[in-house]
Amino acid sequence: MTLVSMNVNGKTFAREIEDRTGLADFLREDCNLTATHLGCEHGVCGACSVMIDGLLARACLKFAVQCAGRDVQTLEGFETDATMGALRRAFHEEHALQCGFCTSGMLISARDLLLRQPQPTESDIRDALAGNICRCTGYSGIVRAVQLAAVRLTEIGG
Amino acid sequence: MKAAPFHYARAASLHAALDALAAGPEALVISGGQSLAPLLNLRMTLCDTIVDIGGLTELQACWQTDHATLIGAGVTHAMIEDGLTPDPAHGMLRRAAGKIAYRAVRCQGTIGGSLAMADPAADWPCILLALGATAILRSALGERRVALDDLLVGVYETSLRPGEIIQALEIPNLPPQARAASAKISRKTGAFANSMVAVVLNGESSRAVLGAAGPRATILPHVSAALASGSPLDQITGLVTRDVADILPEPDPYLQSLHETNVRRALLEVFAP
Amino acid sequence: MGDDATHDAPGWIGRSLLRKEDARHLAGVAMFVADVRLPGMQDIAFVRSQVAHGRLLSVTKPADAAADVYTIEDLPGLSVLEAGPELEAFRQSPYPALASGKVRYVGQAIAACVAATRARAEDLAERVAVGCDELPAVVDAVSAMTSGSARLFEHWPNNAYIARTISAGDPSAMTGAPVRLRRRFRMNRQATVSLEARGCVAVWDPRQEELLVYLSTQGGHVMRLGLSRALGLPENQIRVIVPDVGGGFGGKNRLLPEEIAVCAIALKRRHPVRWIEDRREHLLASVHCRDHHYDLVISAEEDGTIIGVEGDVHIDAGAYALWPTGSFMEASMAAGNLPGPYRMRGLNVNTWTVATNKAPMGPYRGVARPGACFAIERLVDELALHLGIEPYDLRKRNLVTRGEMPYTTIAGLKLDTGDYHDALDTAVRMIDIPAIRALQRARKPGAPRIGVGLAVYTEQSGHGVVEWSKRKSRIVPGYEAANVRMLPDGSVNIHVGVQNHGQGHETTLAQIAADELSMHPDQIRIRYGDTATTPFGFGTFASRSIVFGGGAVGTTARKLALKIKAIGAHILQADPATVELRDGHVVTAQGSVSFRDIAMAANVRQEMLPVGVEPTLEATGTYEPQESAGVFSYGAHAVVVSVDEDTGVVKILDYAVAEDCGTMVNPMIVDGQVQGGIAQGIGTGLFEEIPFNSDGQPLATTFADYIMPGATDVPSVRIAHFVTPALVTEYGVKGVGEGGAIAPPAALANAVGDAFADIKASFNETPLTPRRVWQAARDAMLSAGPVA
Repeated sequence: MTLVSMNVNGKTFAREIEDRTGLADFLREDCNLTATHLGCEHGVCGACSVMIDGLLARACLKFAVQCAGRDVQTLEGFETDATMGALRRAFHEEHALQCGFCTSGMLISARDLLLRQPQPTESDIRDALAGNICRCTGYSGIVRAVQLAAVRLTEIGG
Repeated sequence: MKAAPFHYARAASLHAALDALAAGPEALVISGGQSLAPLLNLRMTLCDTIVDIGGLTELQACWQTDHATLIGAGVTHAMIEDGLTPDPAHGMLRRAAGKIAYRAVRCQGTIGGSLAMADPAADWPCILLALGATAILRSALGERRVALDDLLVGVYETSLRPGEIIQALEIPNLPPQARAASAKISRKTGAFANSMVAVVLNGESSRAVLGAAGPRATILPHVSAALASGSPLDQITGLVTRDVADILPEPDPYLQSLHETNVRRALLEVFAP
Repeated sequence: MGDDATHDAPGWIGRSLLRKEDARHLAGVAMFVADVRLPGMQDIAFVRSQVAHGRLLSVTKPADAAADVYTIEDLPGLSVLEAGPELEAFRQSPYPALASGKVRYVGQAIAACVAATRARAEDLAERVAVGCDELPAVVDAVSAMTSGSARLFEHWPNNAYIARTISAGDPSAMTGAPVRLRRRFRMNRQATVSLEARGCVAVWDPRQEELLVYLSTQGGHVMRLGLSRALGLPENQIRVIVPDVGGGFGGKNRLLPEEIAVCAIALKRRHPVRWIEDRREHLLASVHCRDHHYDLVISAEEDGTIIGVEGDVHIDAGAYALWPTGSFMEASMAAGNLPGPYRMRGLNVNTWTVATNKAPMGPYRGVARPGACFAIERLVDELALHLGIEPYDLRKRNLVTRGEMPYTTIAGLKLDTGDYHDALDTAVRMIDIPAIRALQRARKPGAPRIGVGLAVYTEQSGHGVVEWSKRKSRIVPGYEAANVRMLPDGSVNIHVGVQNHGQGHETTLAQIAADELSMHPDQIRIRYGDTATTPFGFGTFASRSIVFGGGAVGTTARKLALKIKAIGAHILQADPATVELRDGHVVTAQGSVSFRDIAMAANVRQEMLPVGVEPTLEATGTYEPQESAGVFSYGAHAVVVSVDEDTGVVKILDYAVAEDCGTMVNPMIVDGQVQGGIAQGIGTGLFEEIPFNSDGQPLATTFADYIMPGATDVPSVRIAHFVTPALVTEYGVKGVGEGGAIAPPAALANAVGDAFADIKASFNETPLTPRRVWQAARDAMLSAGPVA
């Protein structure tokens, strides 16, 4: 057992955990932040996408101990984030979610894209989200939503 | 799918990591963990101890001289993709980096980790072998320099000795007139390659390498010799069939066609005006 | 793209109202079963069979943790549920909650291990030793029927759950037909792969003296019924709560043994227990689907008029029938949908539903129709190729026309309303076949081949008593229920028996109720997923919810509206016949009274009520359509592909659909269902497969090998809508959830075939992996001989 401390959504969480505890399980069980979902636990589906020190990451491919001392952000931590706000609104308007299970990972990946590429083409968007599986929507609403958010954010910024 | 118990140790420095590995060489080394974590979660790989070398700044050092570029083993694919590292090969590394897995995996996975894993279908072994790179290995006993061709052994097998890690990759800089291209065919964006090719057209150092066909990325001998001797493209493409057939573990007309097509695509790109 | 709720136009039905259920998912505060937290909860991991077929000899528990490991012997008093149709001829495949006697597929649960965390439960599971005598594995549905084959159930004479011949019309008309083509088709086994796998949390509640079960399911009431029977616990002592469900697609519409085991263990322990299925378990042991073999002959006249279809259909149904309905439906629907939307004179199909050593088969979006559509639409294209006719023209010759509606197909499906020709013509116009033909003619050697493919389908939806009884279903989902309650402040809760899991019912059902009650949807909440608070209903599957659930909500809300009017009229001292409902008020020319005031009167001021009118504003009702044989949505899919003949890689260049699902309550949601269904259809057509080796070992057990379409694989589909209302449902609605998934495999295979029409290559096996495409083209080139 190891005492692991990390900063999650701006708050310090220190827990005594087994070394093998995955980051996703640490977030979900020990920090009680359940927006991060587990869809495969081997890094393919993207449902567990989070940010670690400002970099996109799959929470199922990290152990909590690896993230000791780091800054982790989950969907719950982006309440007042402007890019996330634009994405949320656009997802709602473009019917970019049905069952909602992929949504948190999709939003986090989409936000990361827009921060790096504020004006992505449709091809850029599909490429960037290729690692986030959705079984319900067929992706078209998601792509439209990211395009819409990008346009609105550019208008605000410009 | 939860990993079996293990003891985790984060190395405070490269020196400390090497000492820890010297004391317990059976420990697993984790860098980005993007290949190792699934294996641990699936319990396909078991270990008592994991030594974490991720984030060690000594392993992210990069520099460039007139002759070669050094890229730290701890450099992530995303750093290369984002152009944060020096470029030895006319942008080929940067373009290839952006096609590895998914952005989230690229942000965490490292070039050293990819090489040490030696997945037959991985991108870096194929590309670095084509570029004639040398791996700089470190252990508590000192440093070793091993050509990529000697580092890669087989499926998930390298010639790394117990207690040894990859510290950096040294890549000869391509001269201005040299050309380099890589080509990858996979079932879908981000999946492992079903065929991986890297071609470097650089006089005597020319090489064509095929990955995801045999147990490791393998130099195409006749194609490479023809490239090195300055043969024209139509002669070179005629040599592809035999080289591919020799690499495939058993005859497979479909895979033969797949790999030949991919090799020819890369050759076309390298010869394109 | 969608409306938000500030429109002025009258009526909510037909508006693309943005979804009420989005907020919690966008904020990350939804609650899926893995998010449920109960104090003292422990996790379960299952010990699963490593062999496909074997006699279970022993299960050895580690001595220090024996009390935390459960085998079937530790769970006495469990009943094995009879599953499958209520047909004497359908053989029973007893499926205990944990393996007993034999194991019959790799992944079958043998023991359950309980520990403080899932990780520790897995550690414990690894220490359980299983002794098993391996038996030969049955891995092919066709050869499973040969006399020498190993048998899954020794008391069965062969490996068929049931064999049935569907014979209709005049099969003799096919013999001696001028054109007879024989083809074999195969739709390979896959899994449903909802992004959220299954899960169950169970705890005995001593205060309510009931078993509380959180279950990720498509129908809580039916699962409660099953759990009650299996556990021997009265239903009034079981409460099933369905939290947010991350996709079902049919896979969560069966009660599976792990779920029974978890509940049985909960009854034995003093704390909550949880089982969250992981991805490997899901691919191994959750519902498998598709896996059809067709060996068919199509008979036709020289001019392309189809005479009929005959042949053999084998359904690889896996090792057990799943409760309640098993998988006989696959065979009967496969045969029944072979005629598709065409006129035919004869049908003679022998079907076998075969038990094999693979995970049990269950329903998956479209059920058997994607297979049947694949078979008939491929046959149509093969016939067209053979006769030198454009596939479009051949379809036009044989498609049932609007004038013939209602048209009962030779298989007995009553196609009610619609214009199939219009749909096909529209899809064809959208895809622009002449332009594709021009591209094909202009193709340079070595460039990718281009092809265009069509598929037309019908989707039986909203079927009730007549159809389910025909299928001898032991649970007949012939109605739905709704409870509409207006609270004292005038706000409305509607409790329903359908189970929203992505379909947008919180929105669409509120739209319907809003129209009936003349209120704003914001004031109406749709509540579901709790057996304690909702009336009995069957859940969401078979594209039934808008027909049944919408009908129940509409008709029940209408009942309540009458009472509201009566009370309102009384308060206004007006003639009830002269009042109407408008925007949350009862109005007359002289004045109005708000629902709020009426609701106050009805609930806490009953002295204000008219004589004979009881207090409270609540109505409960059930609903079934006027006719229960089903209403048929339909559509035409058209897809353009490019194929690299050297690598076999297929890329989709364009996809157009013309569809008709009757009245659309929310067009935005309909589009979402069509687009989403197509993505899964593309999965079936190009990507998804679980192959098995000869030992019965599945070869795709993680997402490393099981490939699903991602954002770069699924184009944005262009969708044209027709609206031909149904005649027997409320508002003229028809179901639409599955249609998108039915046609893509056929359309894609036809497109790839079109790309290779010059060498007459046939693509008759899904998924059309690059290897299969390449091989089929290679085979055709070799048999075509040297090119002139």
